[in-house]
Amino acid sequence: MVSDEGLGKRAVRELLGPGGLSEQVTEGCNGEWYLRVSEPEFLPLVTSLAARECALIGLFCTEHFSPGAPFSLLYVLEKKGVLLVVVLDTAQSAPSIARLLPSACWPERECRDGFGIAFEGSFDERRLLLHETYPDDYHPLKKCVGNVPPTMKSSVEPSAEYPFRGVQGDGVYQIPVGPVHAGIIEPGHFRFSVIGEKIFNLELRMFYKHRGIEKLAEGRSQGDLVRIAEAVSGDESVANSVACCIAVEKIAGTHVPERAWALRTILMEEERIGSHLGDQAGMLVDVAFPLGASQFAVIREEVFRMNALLTGSRFLRGMIVPGGLSRDIRTEDLEALRLFVRQVRKRYRTGLKIVLSTASVIDRFSPTGVVRRSILRPLNITGPTARASGGNGDVRVDHPYGIYSRHSPSVRALHDGDVLSRFTVRASEILDSLDLIERLLESLPEGPVRVACEAKDGYALSLVESARGQSLCWIWIQNGVVERYKVRTASYCNWLAIEHAVQGEIVPDFPLINKSLNLSYAGTDM
Amino acid sequence: MVNVLSCLLKRKVTADVPARDEEIEALGREIRREVDAVFGGSLAIRELDTGSDNAAEIEINNLTNPYYDVERFGITFVASPRHADVLLVTGAVTHNMAVAAKKTYDAMPSPKFVVAVGDDACTGGIFAGSYAVLGGAEKIVPVDLKIPGNPPAPKEILSGLLALMRHAGRTR
Repeated sequence: MVSDEGLGKRAVRELLGPGGLSEQVTEGCNGEWYLRVSEPEFLPLVTSLAARECALIGLFCTEHFSPGAPFSLLYVLEKKGVLLVVVLDTAQSAPSIARLLPSACWPERECRDGFGIAFEGSFDERRLLLHETYPDDYHPLKKCVGNVPPTMKSSVEPSAEYPFRGVQGDGVYQIPVGPVHAGIIEPGHFRFSVIGEKIFNLELRMFYKHRGIEKLAEGRSQGDLVRIAEAVSGDESVANSVACCIAVEKIAGTHVPERAWALRTILMEEERIGSHLGDQAGMLVDVAFPLGASQFAVIREEVFRMNALLTGSRFLRGMIVPGGLSRDIRTEDLEALRLFVRQVRKRYRTGLKIVLSTASVIDRFSPTGVVRRSILRPLNITGPTARASGGNGDVRVDHPYGIYSRHSPSVRALHDGDVLSRFTVRASEILDSLDLIERLLESLPEGPVRVACEAKDGYALSLVESARGQSLCWIWIQNGVVERYKVRTASYCNWLAIEHAVQGEIVPDFPLINKSLNLSYAGTDM
Repeated sequence: MVNVLSCLLKRKVTADVPARDEEIEALGREIRREVDAVFGGSLAIRELDTGSDNAAEIEINNLTNPYYDVERFGITFVASPRHADVLLVTGAVTHNMAVAAKKTYDAMPSPKFVVAVGDDACTGGIFAGSYAVLGGAEKIVPVDLKIPGNPPAPKEILSGLLALMRHAGRTR
């Protein structure tokens, strides 16, 4: 993150403006800055930060964090290169900031579900994580509530069912879709309000897969925590476990060996390639172009097989541990990877050329499902989706971790924001990742891949760029065990982009737009 | 005109996709035999995710990629539980999915089979004991076969389906 302390402090001061507050900031373990504020200071501060074009990238609650306060709300704000965590202590309630910073809407509902915090002036009071069958006044993330299933309601009155926004008017009808979809897809509910064939409004209902990950992590060892992080979202196993390890390593003050970082980076980029390829193949299936889809699907299967050769897991699981890697990768396997990268690049380019010169594909891809640039910051839309809509954020560049400061990817933003732009951004990222892997393999440092790492007490924020975008994690360790694990993947933010991208589009284009946004349900529902 | 004619008459070529795995081919031939003998030529599968981390879905999806292409062995993935012989369940069963999962099973015609795919569906896996999950798939539907793994690879899923069909053939 920000390496030069003086520089970082100056940037925070600039952000906070003149006044006493900038004297109260303290630096965290990972270059992030913490600012504890009182309730009267809170709204004016957030208002001024919103006016200074800060994005709210995370909001979560934790218990017994500040002496004398039962709960603390942590608001993570970002402006290029600066990460500011505003801490607001509270007994039971806080002012809602969802009107100022719309990306606060879901997290506020989440804090209400988890901890029973009331947000005054909030415009959405519906439950988020906990669906109708959960008992009333049940707040599972409170420390006094044990991690055991509650007594669920056996039936739900129609009046207690989730109220979707009603869209009224001549010729408006609703199409409910899900939670169980027609394909091999994760569950979620889409409520379309349609006029003729055009989508007038889409409302999502997620969290069918809420597995209670954050609570599950509490009281666990740091090693167990990494395995839990891998289970947040299968195809982001490396990204989320690396995010988790960075936080633990920063708390412990551990320096991870160079070779471990080089290999971790190879695995992260390998994961990105696999994810993007699957996504591109899916987009081509959705526009009925199996010739292109098959070529990308074949390469993707080979990536999975290469993953298994390198690590013993097709999803690269079990490799990332606090302090480095669980084991080294054999030289002959790395050599196989080098040859693989070289031939994949050639085949990928050929496939790409066929796809991008096929009129029927382009006709469906453009200008379909536009994500406007104006929603990027308010909703904290990240990753390839943002980069296809004129955004130029990439955690690897803005807050470089590991060895990315020396191997920064070139951020190539496109501006149309449609399906074609998202497809093209992913294509250039696949080629960049292949280049980076090849470069790293050329000059792989020797040495150990793991050092002892045991965090005792402390907390840290970490960000990584997964294939889907910015993945945030905040870990608080007490007496060597996990006190609080907060994880927020890119999908949690990016899901809201789909409500905007489908407006005015026809229903049959929805699957394509959905695929082009590559959203993980598991990574959202937690 | 000559151009149009030559386009029409020219041999149509698609790109040669190099994807063949002898082990899968052999497994596929056995599956084909069982599908023909036990399920009258086609085995219809409905996938149901009750709370997975999405890795198991990805592997099930991979069964349709050119390396496996299981449709040629008589296995099809169907859009509705009403058309399915087999329900593949992935993930621990969350409270939020319990009702939908039960409805999906109930919508299937009998005789029907349920296969739990992956550690989470088999036992609840890493999520066992969480406030938000009931446990493995058997907490809401009767399970005929469990395929463990984190997640199981496509080849393991295919071997599991073969075992299911042999079991179904014997108990018919």
